[in-house]
Amino acid sequence: MVMFEAANITAVLRTLADPTRRAVFERVVRSEEITVVELTRGSGVTQGAISQHLKSLKQAGLVSERPEGRNVYYRAEPEGLAPLVDWMSHYGVFWRDRFANLRTLLKEIDP
Amino acid sequence: MNDAALKSDTQDIVVDEVFPHAPETIWKALTSGELIARWLMPPTGFEPVEGTHFTYQTTPAGEWDGVIRCQVLQVIPKQRLAYAWKGGHEGNVGYGSRLDTVVTWVLTQVETGTRVRLVHSGFVLPKNDTAYRNMSDGWKKVVRNLDAIAAEQDSSKSLH
Repeated sequence: MVMFEAANITAVLRTLADPTRRAVFERVVRSEEITVVELTRGSGVTQGAISQHLKSLKQAGLVSERPEGRNVYYRAEPEGLAPLVDWMSHYGVFWRDRFANLRTLLKEIDP
Repeated sequence: MNDAALKSDTQDIVVDEVFPHAPETIWKALTSGELIARWLMPPTGFEPVEGTHFTYQTTPAGEWDGVIRCQVLQVIPKQRLAYAWKGGHEGNVGYGSRLDTVVTWVLTQVETGTRVRLVHSGFVLPKNDTAYRNMSDGWKKVVRNLDAIAAEQDSSKSLH
């Protein structure tokens, strides 16, 4: 199904309910890509704690990771926030998708 | 919902495209349950007859079972089809929140085929924040509202 995984709303909210984790997420959002070391710097939290938060964020689909050499780069996943988006954004995407489906179907039934 | 204040605060989604097919063909795709299933979702109980109730099963959220409850409001063959599109639950935020909208299809014959205009009307925007509307550039702003959303969730939880 193309629809957003709205069942994850609770998971996303639970993940972001922690202020430290939310701060980590917001920093990832503000950067194109960022490493654990960079995130730890000036955070006042240990690298281990940052890693744990990143793990939770990854499980909630809010960040993705890209290993390169000895580093792992994290970036935000906009789609992870989809469950928090309102109905209007949801249906904006939904109807455009369905118009594309309709075009394909019409081509099939009326070539 | 008869609240005039709410009504004046709603927004529409409009998708308007020309398809290289005759209005009859498009009308069939919009009003045959079997065809609707192939491009939209499988409807339950749909008939292109005014007053008919039908449903769509979508992804549930919170206390909402995911069922979109529809009722055919207007049928003008090959020209216009409108139905109510309702769902959601008050306990939800964003996707899955209360939804009381109308979907209208308008077909107009043009030289190259048929102009299909979809108007999905009646969206009540949360806090009137237009930044919510556009996922493509708005989602960074959504992040800024997370504190508020998380706080709302926490307070609603403590009520139970």
